[in-house]
Amino acid sequence: MAESTKPFFLWRHLNKIRWLVLLTIFLMLIILPFIHVYQTFVASFSYDLLTPGEKSLYDFMEMLTAPFTNDPANGLDSIKGTTWSGNFFGFQISDPLSVLGQIASGLTLYWPFILTAAVPVLATVLFGRFFCGWICPATFLYELNTILSLWLHRFGIKAGNRKFDRRLKYLVLAVGLALSAISGSVLISVIYPPAIIGRELYFGIALGGFGAGLAFFVMTLLFDLLVAHRGFCRYVCPGGALYSLLGSFRLFRIKRIVEECNDCAKCNAVCEFGLDPLHDDFGVECNNCSACIAVCPTDAMTFVTTVRDVEFQGPGHLGKQYKRLQESGE
Amino acid sequence: MDRRNFLKELITGAVATSALSSGLAEAVFAAQSNQRYLRPPGSLKEEEFESRCIRCGQCSEVCPNHCIEYFDLENGIDSLNTPYITPRAKACILCMKCGDVCPTDAIKELDRTAEDILGYVQMGKARVNENLCLSYQGKTCGVCYRACPLADVAIKVQLLEQPVVLDACVGCGLCERSCIQIPQAIKIIPDHILNPVS
Repeated sequence: MAESTKPFFLWRHLNKIRWLVLLTIFLMLIILPFIHVYQTFVASFSYDLLTPGEKSLYDFMEMLTAPFTNDPANGLDSIKGTTWSGNFFGFQISDPLSVLGQIASGLTLYWPFILTAAVPVLATVLFGRFFCGWICPATFLYELNTILSLWLHRFGIKAGNRKFDRRLKYLVLAVGLALSAISGSVLISVIYPPAIIGRELYFGIALGGFGAGLAFFVMTLLFDLLVAHRGFCRYVCPGGALYSLLGSFRLFRIKRIVEECNDCAKCNAVCEFGLDPLHDDFGVECNNCSACIAVCPTDAMTFVTTVRDVEFQGPGHLGKQYKRLQESGE
Repeated sequence: MDRRNFLKELITGAVATSALSSGLAEAVFAAQSNQRYLRPPGSLKEEEFESRCIRCGQCSEVCPNHCIEYFDLENGIDSLNTPYITPRAKACILCMKCGDVCPTDAIKELDRTAEDILGYVQMGKARVNENLCLSYQGKTCGVCYRACPLADVAIKVQLLEQPVVLDACVGCGLCERSCIQIPQAIKIIPDHILNPVS
């Protein structure tokens, strides 16, 4: 039997780091509106005229931001925006879908804006749908939704698990772009959960009320819970469709080490996107979330750099099926 | 823009002639809004603005005066989540931060100088209702003139502080915001109503 080396130790812990990243980004989306409210207090209100609640918010934000800047009205402008489009220390980063939607609605190419998506596009080409697993603020809530469905299962309420055609989302992307072109307005942002989350959190915290987008997002949560597990991301999301296309030949992939695999199928059970790592079927949907690496009891999952998935390698060498095959073969 | 208008009319026509009520088509593809709202300073013309704006929300997030809000569905689905200012509630202080942060330049990047503001900002024009204005009724007021960041350039006062709006007015709305009459005697007429896209 071929001697295989253990996967790099960090891969097993990537899933924890991923949760930390998701949590950080979600918290940022909550803190940034509060920072904005604080900035408006500083810039255009007298402290004495604030209500007691506003005063305590002011004091708290002052405590939080004082180590970083002496001039909150201008100094705290260095991080603004959401994952849809944001300003990070003077560097503007936009979602590739926002660029595509803007091109469709304007029917022109405005290069200063298109270039703001260069880094995300490059990263998607290398890492595939990593945005969906690692950054998307909606993913954070959808994965919590998965945990909720497991809880409900314990009380006898079964979550929906219907299957649809995964290619449906490409249709949604095409129709969304066509509607943007016809209306001359970036309508695709209205059905894209991460954009909605960023906006609605801001509306809710800083502008005193959620908008229509929140109702849409709650519907997607219910869809995931009652109809299809992670259904929106897998079957509907136009951004997911775009990243699947961009990341078709991604360089970083998860691979099953067949010599170490014992066919326990925990990877299939944990996979949020309902993929089939046990049979080496990752495809364009895999978002490199690394949950399967973290759950594998025999360290049989690792990262490799290759532009294609391996073909099905047969049953795992530590599993019963493989042993039976060996005995009958010899 | 012609192609889009053609497509729009095609779709509007198809929807209107179908079993659906034509009211729906009107609501979905409202041709030109008559609502009185201002776009942030330095914004492109209305139709171009809607196609350029990606609804990222950063303009409001940098606004130190907290005056930029976002449309829900009240102005048609085309302007869903786009920024606007209601001058009577909270007017623009022309700080020009929103243009700096706008990733698509739907709001142009301008310096906070009189040159740039007078040259490129066209949110609307103030209009005085002389029947309501205190100064024109003989009670010397002049609040709008004192609120104007471009006093003597955008607005001047005559005898008894009677305000006269000049051509250079950019429509920031600080005069409307500060008018002590109810209803206000000075109002901003937004650019998209003054100069509708034909």
